[in-house]
Amino acid sequence: MRHQLTVAIKNQSIAVERFLRVARHRGFHLTQLELEGHDDLFHVKMTVDSDKPIYLLTTQLSKLVEVQQVDLHTLQQQAI
Amino acid sequence: MTGAQLLIDLLAKHGVQEVFGYPGGAIMPIYDALYGAPVKHYLTRHEQGAGFAAVGYARSTGKLGVCFATSGPGATNLVTSLADAMMDSVPLLAITGQVPTAAIGSDAFQEVDVLGMSLSCTKHSYMVERAEDLAEILQEAMHLALSGRPGPVLVDIPKDIQLAQAPFKPWLAREESFPELLSCEVQTAEVLLSEAQRPVAYVGGGVQSADAQAELMQFLNKTQMPAVSTLKALGSVLPEYEYDLGMLGMHGGQAANIAVQECDLLVCIGARFDDRVTGNLAKFAAKAKVIHLDIDPAEVGKRKPAAASLITDLKTSIPALACFVTNAQWLNTVMELKTAHAWRYDYPGEKVFAPYLLKELSRKMPRDSVVCCDVGQHQMWVAQHMKFTHPSNHLSSGGAGTMGFGLPAAIGAQIARPQNMVVTVSGDGSIMMNIQELATIRRNNLPVKIVILDNQRLGMVRQWQQLFFEGRYSETNLSDNPDFVQLAAVFGIPGQTITHANEVDDAIDELVNSTGPYIIHACIDDKENVWPLVPPGAANDEMMTEKAQ
Repeated sequence: MRHQLTVAIKNQSIAVERFLRVARHRGFHLTQLELEGHDDLFHVKMTVDSDKPIYLLTTQLSKLVEVQQVDLHTLQQQAI
Repeated sequence: MTGAQLLIDLLAKHGVQEVFGYPGGAIMPIYDALYGAPVKHYLTRHEQGAGFAAVGYARSTGKLGVCFATSGPGATNLVTSLADAMMDSVPLLAITGQVPTAAIGSDAFQEVDVLGMSLSCTKHSYMVERAEDLAEILQEAMHLALSGRPGPVLVDIPKDIQLAQAPFKPWLAREESFPELLSCEVQTAEVLLSEAQRPVAYVGGGVQSADAQAELMQFLNKTQMPAVSTLKALGSVLPEYEYDLGMLGMHGGQAANIAVQECDLLVCIGARFDDRVTGNLAKFAAKAKVIHLDIDPAEVGKRKPAAASLITDLKTSIPALACFVTNAQWLNTVMELKTAHAWRYDYPGEKVFAPYLLKELSRKMPRDSVVCCDVGQHQMWVAQHMKFTHPSNHLSSGGAGTMGFGLPAAIGAQIARPQNMVVTVSGDGSIMMNIQELATIRRNNLPVKIVILDNQRLGMVRQWQQLFFEGRYSETNLSDNPDFVQLAAVFGIPGQTITHANEVDDAIDELVNSTGPYIIHACIDDKENVWPLVPPGAANDEMMTEKAQ
C-alpha cells in the first residue's frame, strides 16, 4: 500500500536524516520525496510503500522532537 | 563562564551529583572544569563501563544517569550503552567531546560523525554549533531524557565550544503534560473488565518509569487479578501478592504462560509485546481481548491490536480502570497452575545447583538489595528464582540483551545507593566483557558483591546449539577461563570458589556478611540448562521442559 505523508519538521539537515532513518528502519520504502524550506520549517512531502499499516510509521514520526506535524493522505493502489 | 564550566554548572543546578566517564583529547576542557567541581566524577576503565554505570545509576534510582566520553572511539564505545538505554527506556544524558568546529568533516584525528551515529540509539541528540545555544540545549536534553517515555539523549560538544564563553540562559522547561484519557476508551475498558471471566494483568517496565508501583498494587489488590511480569517489570508486583505468577515468555514460568494463553482479557500495563514475551505472536493470548495502558502511543497496536487503549501516564491510567473482582473459579485455576508448576530445588547431583544458590541468595540478602545481571542462562535463573520488591532492585539488560552490562551497572547502582547491598550475578562469558571495571570497584572501595555462575561455556548459546543445531558446539567452550578468584585478588577483592552443593550456604553467608567487595566463583554443571523454554516459532504453551528432555 502506498501512502503520501506531509511532514513539517525543523529546518535542520539532521531532522531530515532522523525521520528518513525512522521510515527506513520501520519498513517503509521511500518512493518519492520533496522538501521545501519556509521560515523555520521544512515541509516534506513523501510517498512510502509498505505492507505494514501506516500508523506504525506515523506514530513513530510523531514522537520525533523536531517533527511538528504529520498529515496522512492514503493513495489508491494502482490497478495492475 | 566557558562552555565546559557551564555544563558542569548546569548539571549541578539540576541536581546531578555524580557522573561517570573517561577523559580524552576532545573533552579535556570539560574535565578541566570538573577539577574541584561539586559534581563528583567516577573514572571507569572503558567508556562502555561509564555508560552502563550511568544506566545502573539511573535504573536503581529513577534519576538521570550522566556519562562523559571523548570524540571518536570514546563516543563509539558509548554506543552500546546508549542502545541499551534506548531499548529499556532509561533516562540517560551522554556528553561527548567533538573535534573543534573548524575540523569537523576533515577526517580529523579522533573524528567520528557522532550525531549521525546517534540517530538509531538515542531518543534525541544534538551537536552544539554555537556557544550561545549550549545552555538551552543542555537543559532541554535533561528534560527530554526524563520526560514522557524516558530515554538516552546525547549532546556532542565541539572542543572550541567547550572553550568559548557561553552565556547562561534559563530555559523554561515545558511542564510535563500527558495526553488526556479518552472517556470512550475508559468506558470500553470498563465493559471489557466487567465481562471478563479470565483476566490477566501483563505488567511491563512502564510501571517503574511512571513510578506507579503503588497504583499497580492497589489495582491488583482490589481486583485480585492474576499478574505476569516482563523481565524488566520484575519487582513491580510485590512477591507477597497471592496471584503473582512471575515472569512470562521464552523462559517464563509455566503457570504464567499457560494463564496468559488461557485468559480472555489481557490488561497490558506499560509493556510492549516484545518477541521474547509473546513467542509466536499469532498464537499469543489468542483468546484474549487487550486493554493497553501506555504513555507511548506508538506502542499501542504495534504488535497486537488493542480493544481499548489508555494512553497517558500510568499513575493516571491505572486508577482509571474500574475494579471488578476476578471470579473465584479463574483464581482457583490459576492457583492450581501455580502449585502444579512451582519451581523445584531438589537437584539430585552433588554439584552447585544455580537455581538453589540464587533462591538462597535472594532469601538471605537484605530486602532492598539491588541485583544486577549480565545476559545468558544466569540472567534467566535470576529472573526465575530471585524475589524483588521493586523494579529498581533488579537491573537486567532486557531489550538489548547486552553481555557486560552487570558489573558496571552494579557500580552505578552502588554509588547511587550506598546504603543498600548491590550484587552482580554474572556468567563466565559475560563477566569478561567488562572485567576491567574491577579496577573501578577497587579504586572507589565499593562493596559490590559478585557471583559468577561458571559452566565454562557460553551457556545459553550452547543450550540452543544442543537443542536446535544438532549439538554442533561452535565457539562456546570457555574451559580456558582464568581463575576468577585469583583474578579478583589481583584487584584486591577477596572471594572463594565453590564446586559442591554443600558449600553453597556458607559461601552465601560469607558474601552477605562481608563489608567490602566479595566474589563467589560457583562452578556449576556445564550441562545444566534453563527450563522451561519456548522454542522458536512455538506458542507460549508449547514449552520444552526438563522433564520432557
